[in-house]
Amino acid sequence: MDLSAKIIYKPPNTETNPTLEDPTPDYMNLLGMIFSMCGLMLKLKWCAWIAVYCSFISFANSRSSEDTKQMMSSFMLSISAVVMSYLQNPQPMSPPW
Amino acid sequence: MCVGFQELRFTLLVYTINIRVSLGRYNDDFDDGEDIAEFDDNDFAEFEDVSEDPAVDVEKEPPPRAAPSSTPIEDEEDEATVENEDGQDEFEDADAQDQDMYSKYDNEEFEGHEKTNPSFKDTLIYREVPAHLQNSWESYYMEILMVTGLLAYIMNYIIGKNKNSRLAQAWFNSHRELLESNFALVGDDGTSKEATSTGKLNQENEHIYNLWCSGRVCCEGMLIQLKFLKRQDLLNVLARMMRPVCDQVQVKVTLNDEDMDTFVFAVGSRKAMARLQKEMQDLSEFCGDKPKSGAKYGIPESLSILSEMGEVTDGVMDSKMVHYLTSHADKIESIHFSDQFSGPKVMQEEGQPLKLPETKKTLLFTFNVPGMGNTSPKDMDSLLPLMNMVIYSIDKLKKLRLNREGKQKADRNRARVEENFLKQTHAQRQEAAQTRREEKKRAEKERIMNEEDPDRQRRLEEAAQRREQKKLEKKQMKMKQIKVKAM
Repeated sequence: MDLSAKIIYKPPNTETNPTLEDPTPDYMNLLGMIFSMCGLMLKLKWCAWIAVYCSFISFANSRSSEDTKQMMSSFMLSISAVVMSYLQNPQPMSPPW
Repeated sequence: MCVGFQELRFTLLVYTINIRVSLGRYNDDFDDGEDIAEFDDNDFAEFEDVSEDPAVDVEKEPPPRAAPSSTPIEDEEDEATVENEDGQDEFEDADAQDQDMYSKYDNEEFEGHEKTNPSFKDTLIYREVPAHLQNSWESYYMEILMVTGLLAYIMNYIIGKNKNSRLAQAWFNSHRELLESNFALVGDDGTSKEATSTGKLNQENEHIYNLWCSGRVCCEGMLIQLKFLKRQDLLNVLARMMRPVCDQVQVKVTLNDEDMDTFVFAVGSRKAMARLQKEMQDLSEFCGDKPKSGAKYGIPESLSILSEMGEVTDGVMDSKMVHYLTSHADKIESIHFSDQFSGPKVMQEEGQPLKLPETKKTLLFTFNVPGMGNTSPKDMDSLLPLMNMVIYSIDKLKKLRLNREGKQKADRNRARVEENFLKQTHAQRQEAAQTRREEKKRAEKERIMNEEDPDRQRRLEEAAQRREQKKLEKKQMKMKQIKVKAM
């Protein structure tokens, strides 16, 4: 083995090249927040449930370097949307068909 | 004895009065006109009109109030009397006899009483008890479905994450020896200031693992990215059922300036070559021709070649390379050697970028893991020969040098590309230069204005005017020269 100067790893700068980044977790986060707000304001149970799913999908696709606080806040918001909509109207959800 | 009888009579009288008083309390609906005073005069007056036994009447009066209409038919006539006095209109009967009974009464006597007989033949309407009061879980089936879906997602997340982790570890275990024998630094996450070997993969995601190797001649460093499928995301798993995709291993070797000559070359599957030619900045600029079939150089038909010039292809495609490509053609997605590598084309919002993108001498290898998604850890061993090919390529390119003609051609190509770029951005660069000049003038004027000493101010103004004059003269000279040349 011929030795040469060791160079430290530098993570690729994704700011200059946004095409390299996977936008899924960010989109899902945003969707989750929108559905949570709809579920809370309009008292729609299905919106709240979809928000919970969006949070889970965003978490599954997130990078390790991402802030856990944002994930947790997204989860909490969606779960609170579900809980609030059931407290206000305990009737079960009716299917759309 | 006579006194005894009188006492008895008095007692009876008192008893009778008591009875009447208590009866009077029951008869609340009575008009107070018909009165206790009347009954006091004639104790038995109320019984005089009735043909039946008075005792029966006495008994009957309280119960009809409390009892429902279950016994109206039997005690009709009694009740008729009683009801008349009581006004108990609520005990209605569908029977015709009741109708007759009612028709006997004076209409004016009763207010609010409607003669219409409601029919009890109408069906009873059963109102539905709201589901949440029903005490049954079955009505919440949609919620149960949702929770089941979430649980399935979580289960899939755990299983997918573990599988990806096992695959990554299997790859690293099979390649560790080769890497450690070729590189001084294997594994670095970039967090420490000193270059220390961590000896393990750096997890970027649940499906992407990185490994940085450095400390070898002929290259600056090598970044290996294990781009697995998103097995942890159930949506992705379902999408892959429609459209199968495979795991990929991407190796990016960055070279020092002296380690590679100036050329651009790529070989890979036909689809990949077509895509790369459109997407990659250097391939689109330097390899404008359509991808050529690999059959000419002894490699399978499924592979095609993009090259800047024929000499490069001949130089790269030696026998060992051909052997590698032939035996592992199914695992090779693309191999890209370039001294002008700057990544994919970047779409800028403000039109063209003002500067040429930074380039780096790079070798980029993309390999497909066999299994088409259903990979097992054992499949990772089959990628080891490909890593050998990478090491061989690094050493080979260090030695590969273009002849004089090739070099000249390559230089001409690079100059052409630069010129094209400058032409396209000429207008924008002019604008940028103009704004810079205006900024300078403004700054100078401000400086003159801010100058407090009037003498100095005057002198600075004069100097600025002289400079402007000189510039104008220079421009005029140039115009004259151009005119003369044109003539």
